[in-house]
Amino acid sequence: MKLYYFSEMPHHEYPDAEGEKYPSLRLEFPNRFFDREKAHANYQRYLTEYELADQVGFDGLMVNEHHSTPSCVNVGVNMSAAILARTTQRAKILLLGNILPIEENPVRLAEQIAMADLISGGRVLSGFVRGVGVEQWWSNVNPIHNRERFEECHDLILKCWTEPGPFRWEGRHYHFRHVNPWCLPLQTPHPPIWIPGTASPETAIWAGRRGYTFVPFLVPFEIARELFDYYRKGAAEAGRTVTPDKLGFLICAVTADTRAKALEAGRHFVWRMGPTLRGPVEFFSPVGMRSRAGTQFALKARPRSLGSMSYEDLVAGHFIIAGTPDEVADRFALVQRELGIGHLLLEAQESRMDHPTTMRSIELMGAKVIPAIAPL
Amino acid sequence: MRPMKPREERIRVGGIDVHTWIGGDGPPLLVLHGAGGNRGFTRWLERVAQRYTVWAPTHPGFGLSGDAEWMDGIDDLARFHLWFMDAAGLERPHVLGHSIGGWTAAEMATMSPGSIDSLILVVPAGLKPETGEILDVFYYPPPQLVPMMVHDPKTVPEWDALFGTPLSPAQQEIAVRNREMTARLTWKPYMHDPRLAHFLPRITNRTLILWGREDRVVPVECGEQYRRLVPRATLTVLEQCGHLPPIEQPDEFARHVLDFLGGDGRR
Repeated sequence: MKLYYFSEMPHHEYPDAEGEKYPSLRLEFPNRFFDREKAHANYQRYLTEYELADQVGFDGLMVNEHHSTPSCVNVGVNMSAAILARTTQRAKILLLGNILPIEENPVRLAEQIAMADLISGGRVLSGFVRGVGVEQWWSNVNPIHNRERFEECHDLILKCWTEPGPFRWEGRHYHFRHVNPWCLPLQTPHPPIWIPGTASPETAIWAGRRGYTFVPFLVPFEIARELFDYYRKGAAEAGRTVTPDKLGFLICAVTADTRAKALEAGRHFVWRMGPTLRGPVEFFSPVGMRSRAGTQFALKARPRSLGSMSYEDLVAGHFIIAGTPDEVADRFALVQRELGIGHLLLEAQESRMDHPTTMRSIELMGAKVIPAIAPL
Repeated sequence: MRPMKPREERIRVGGIDVHTWIGGDGPPLLVLHGAGGNRGFTRWLERVAQRYTVWAPTHPGFGLSGDAEWMDGIDDLARFHLWFMDAAGLERPHVLGHSIGGWTAAEMATMSPGSIDSLILVVPAGLKPETGEILDVFYYPPPQLVPMMVHDPKTVPEWDALFGTPLSPAQQEIAVRNREMTARLTWKPYMHDPRLAHFLPRITNRTLILWGREDRVVPVECGEQYRRLVPRATLTVLEQCGHLPPIEQPDEFARHVLDFLGGDGRR
């Protein structure tokens, strides 16, 4: 099983009491609490941590993108991927991902991902996501069109990568009369495509039909298995066999020299489960963004919100894994047995977890955990 | 007043079944509902139907009407309802529209003023306020939004009947449909069309604009803007009234409508 390092590049640099005064940290919490100097220093440390993860043997470095929120100030997944393409040598660079429905120019996206792939020597794994509702508000793209735009944007990017230009694209949402990108990915026919899932059966089926790698995020095991079943259904429709390298899973994880230290560090993940997800349902799932089936599945997938769970509940449910290297290796092996996955994505830094703690966790993962689980 | 029973019909327009309430007696009056959907013959409409034959279609994508996922804006809806008038055989009806229905009515009149007799625009969206903002109705959960629609729920005679009971699953599905179609039509530019102001001077029809002074959704300044732009428009502002004048002050509202149309029974 392959391990991936991931940080949301949080900006938890304000008094929590201030954040609590607002209905949500997303969209509503005023950016006068953004600290420019700390952000400068944080970007440096976060990138250093990614570079160490590459050096110690992580199979991949995952980056993501959000907007209008202190929970993630990585505001450009292709920008951070381009930096890592140049400053790291070995690990895959997993963009998970570009938020297709809010993109106005899929051709530009195809070019940027290609450029990161070229600079990195063909290490890009290109994730495509539908995004959370907050990004619909941020971009002001009509959430009614979320799925249509996701699919059309995807189709145009794939055409850019696989069919010679120049060509014309006249779709429902995208219109380009002269498409001929002079920047194509190093990997042929194109970088592997990854798709995350939290609550949408349609997305799982869609990914399965196309043979993309499918990665549920932070859901209970039984929900992940159910999503994988939808994925397999889609794969079967297309006559595909599903191997473990098509399945991944994302959890939060940290290790340290002692169990006590690891458990203390793991508490930093609670912030991303609760405070950063607090807010009206309209912020996260605006009108029309989810199908009726998706809405029904979302209710089932989250019988309890992550925010309502205690740290102990989150650890017991394997949403957070924190322990000595041996302990986390055992837990990762358990996740692998439970889900039959080939990729485990670790959200490995959060909130105010400091630089030395993060660096030590990365070192220990490289020295003890990765060798233990690589053969699985 | 004599109680009258409206009927429901499905009228096919452009391949879409349009659920329509029809009732009353007299010259035709086309009534176009707002984002909350077609509430049928509520109190104000029963009064108006004493003097006019009311045709109240449910917009495509709303309520019990068929889908129109290809529509992108209120101008599409306006063209559709001009077509609906043909399909229903309505000749120069009076047209009354509320909120996004008012915006639709205004667009229809800019497209084909000769097809319409008098025009009544009730708190129409469609124009960008010069100083304020139109409330972002999609940003708030519906239970929080409903009280913001009116000046004071306690003064609304039909409040309990319309908003007082939990929605059945079928009603809930309709509420979601209504909200989705409203988003489809009005998301961006939000609740207005920058081109509309340039076309409004074409409206030669007698026009009544009705507004609630305390409207928290579309500010009353938009009523002034409409009045300035539509050549034969008068603006009447109801005091202690919000965004739902037909529901908040049904008797007063019906009286204004009947007075304007000249059918208040005083003849």
